Amino acid sequence: MSEVRPVGEVRPILELENLTMTFGGLRAVDGLSLTVFEGEIVGLIGPNGAGKTTVFNCVTQFYKQYEGLIRLTNDDGAVDLRDVPVTQVVRHGITRTFQNLDLVPDLSIEDNVLVGAHTRFHTGVISHLLRTPRARREEKEMRDRAVQVLDFLGIAHLKDLYVAGQPYGILKKVEIARTLMAEPRLIILDEPAAGLNDQETKALDALIYQIRERYHTTVLLIEHNMALVMNVCDRVCAINFGKFLAMGAPATIQRNPQVQEAYLGKDEHL
Amino acid sequence: MNRRPTAQAHGRTLLAAIRRRPLLQFALLAVALLVIAVLPHLGLMRFSTMSIYAYTAIYTVVALGMNILLGFSGLISLGTAGFIGAGALGMGVFLRMGLPFEAAAVVVLLISGSLGALIGLFSLKVESIYLAIATLFVGEILRQVYTSVPIFGGEFIRIGAVRLFGVFELNQIFQVERSILYAVIVGVLLLSMVLMHHLVRSRTGRALMAMSRSEHAAQAMGVSLLKYRLIAFVTATLYATAGGILYALYFQSAPTRAWTLNVSLLVIAMVVVGGFKSIVGTFLGAIIIYGLPNLLLKDLLGDISYVFSGALIILVILFYPRGFVYVGHDLRRIVSTLRTRARRAP
Amino acid sequence: MADILRILFNSMQTGSTYALAALGIALIWKTSRTTNFAQGSIGTLNAYVAGILLVSWGWNIWLVAAASMVTAFFTGILIDAFIIRPAARVSPISKQIITLGLIMVIVGLIPLLFGVDPYRLPSFIPGASVTVAGAALRYNTVFVVTISLALMGGLFWFIQKTRWGLAIRVTAISESTSRLMGVPTKTVTMISWASAAMMGTLAALIVAPQASVNPNMLLDVQVSAFFAGVLGGFSTFFGPVVGSFIIAFSRNFTAFYISDIWGNVIVYSLILVFLYFKPYGLFGKKSEKKV
Repeated sequence: MSEVRPVGEVRPILELENLTMTFGGLRAVDGLSLTVFEGEIVGLIGPNGAGKTTVFNCVTQFYKQYEGLIRLTNDDGAVDLRDVPVTQVVRHGITRTFQNLDLVPDLSIEDNVLVGAHTRFHTGVISHLLRTPRARREEKEMRDRAVQVLDFLGIAHLKDLYVAGQPYGILKKVEIARTLMAEPRLIILDEPAAGLNDQETKALDALIYQIRERYHTTVLLIEHNMALVMNVCDRVCAINFGKFLAMGAPATIQRNPQVQEAYLGKDEHL
Repeated sequence: MNRRPTAQAHGRTLLAAIRRRPLLQFALLAVALLVIAVLPHLGLMRFSTMSIYAYTAIYTVVALGMNILLGFSGLISLGTAGFIGAGALGMGVFLRMGLPFEAAAVVVLLISGSLGALIGLFSLKVESIYLAIATLFVGEILRQVYTSVPIFGGEFIRIGAVRLFGVFELNQIFQVERSILYAVIVGVLLLSMVLMHHLVRSRTGRALMAMSRSEHAAQAMGVSLLKYRLIAFVTATLYATAGGILYALYFQSAPTRAWTLNVSLLVIAMVVVGGFKSIVGTFLGAIIIYGLPNLLLKDLLGDISYVFSGALIILVILFYPRGFVYVGHDLRRIVSTLRTRARRAP
Repeated sequence: MADILRILFNSMQTGSTYALAALGIALIWKTSRTTNFAQGSIGTLNAYVAGILLVSWGWNIWLVAAASMVTAFFTGILIDAFIIRPAARVSPISKQIITLGLIMVIVGLIPLLFGVDPYRLPSFIPGASVTVAGAALRYNTVFVVTISLALMGGLFWFIQKTRWGLAIRVTAISESTSRLMGVPTKTVTMISWASAAMMGTLAALIVAPQASVNPNMLLDVQVSAFFAGVLGGFSTFFGPVVGSFIIAFSRNFTAFYISDIWGNVIVYSLILVFLYFKPYGLFGKKSEKKV
């Protein structure tokens, strides 16, 4: 298999080696190996039920009973993510969005975004109870940052509205804003374009680029919208039935006969 | 808009300003409650009525803790009565042992706080109806201990006069001192409202809400379920115990058999009827569930008052599921729609 | 040996009352998704009906028992129709608190309807007993245990083997799906409330001869029934029943052999520890959450 190396940075940030995840005898992910380099935008594609979200759940440690190795390399060196509890993954620089939005309906958009900054705070419960000057200052800084991030995404004017009742396109942006608040090195997007209209999807292309440029992150995404994948991804990894099919530049993957076969009958995506 | 502001408009902006400032609301509420401390001395109210307000304030403190659990953290406890009892009876035991009031309060809070932490640990394993009933176990265990263990005495532990900060001796038999005790309780109520307001409008409050409403996203963002379940249960337990301590302070005697499941359910009802997540609403809930029946209905309706409060709970839940705190909001909306209609109609 | 047997006989009777209440609670939990805190109060209300019929009209115990079962049936139906069904859309916690309101209404109504004096109800079979290995076994105990088990057995048969039972089981799994599939979930819920009320009333009639009919007569039964539910697990119908007998026996056993005061505390703490390791009870299953 010929790997297309990205130009510039060559340091790997995320490496999967022989990842296998079984659910009651069914192999949802089967011996998948994959390397994501720093600064890349990588797409993970495959037909429905190919195991894409399972891969994400393993990487972010929601599933722990996988076999194989998931290694993260950041400025502090390499970590075997298996040793990292699910709530600590974000501290190592990985954040994610969810396929079916996972927001707090009865909090404002700004407050939802602030949940993403959870690990960036230094004050604890006691300082919050007493609202010490330090807690107050920190809260203000974080709120300012949240407004900046929301402004970058073009929804700062909506910050005080409740999440409940907002259109899908806005909520998707709120989720992205929440991940950005955590100052991630690697953002994992689970179907960012699902549920968006054409216009919003087009804008998403540019947005994903801008996120990489402005926040210096790597992006790993699952997406069914092939136009988006072809436009924004540096490299694409195709899987089917949990198995690796091919990896390479979007155009190469698009022409790959195995990939085409996997999608047979799903031509409308291509 | 070049109209001259009328007195009415002034009034409206003042109300709007109050609405935007929760801390001001708490302060106004506390002032209103403090006025009650004076009324009996002017012969405008019975002293027993002041005691009902005191008990309502105590219930509010307890229910605030319950609101942290129910409203913010999506958790429930049926063992609240046990912790109120722990506060009241624990104070009785430690004061009799000769501890100063403040030291006794700290010891009692530490003990129940650790019990609350245990429940928090438990809640990671056990959920839904199983968790609710597990907390009922804790409440029942405490109740059994209070009724059968000799150190808690028979029907009552008598506490008698209490010395605050080692200087102020207050005995509730004297009318002036009883009013001072009442004022202390209102002070603690104000403090617990402010602390809770701070807590829920912070990183901690957001984490609690994220934990209950979007558990997976919360975890992905670094919210440790263990830590925040502990925080939720410990805070709720401390509020309940503080309520018990205030009970001991005001009534200066603590019953052993009063801490049943029904008390815990009443506290939950206060939150439900008053409004999830609302601090002022919690006070409204306490007034409706405890204050109203005892202040008004007992005199008006006699024995039916209990039926009436039960029916009220059912009706409010059926027809006002968001809680009483929204009454003002909804009334305003109705008034403004009526106004626009009236304006449109020539 | 005689002691153990005596404890066992005793526990069979108290266990039956717990089991009746627990099965009612489980039935309502599974079909209405609410914890019925009023299970005991509903039974108590109908025990008062039995009491007043017995005292004022001079009916015998069998007749008043039958009559109170009929009133229980209608109590259940009325509660479902006027309170539970309209509350279909309120939050789960508020729904549970509705049953607290119900307790207050019932406990408040009892003195108005029946006066403040407690009633006495006789046992079904007074006096006579047989001695088994040195321990007295009252015929009444045999009778109430048999009828409770028969009633619960009948209910299990009904749930497992009949069309209506199937409707109950599928409603328990998913109310909304069942409704879409044409299952008359409203009737199912109504039947559940009616059966639960009848079981609670039978429990009250069994307890009454020892405790007299008073507003708090089922307090202990009610709480123990909840505990039995979690011990056995709410995912099956027989779990709470098994849990009831275990709790009844271990409470009597510890009270006799260890300490009257600490018996309950020990049993409850042990169950809590057990629950930590088996969070869904003896026969319970965990439902997986999807990320």
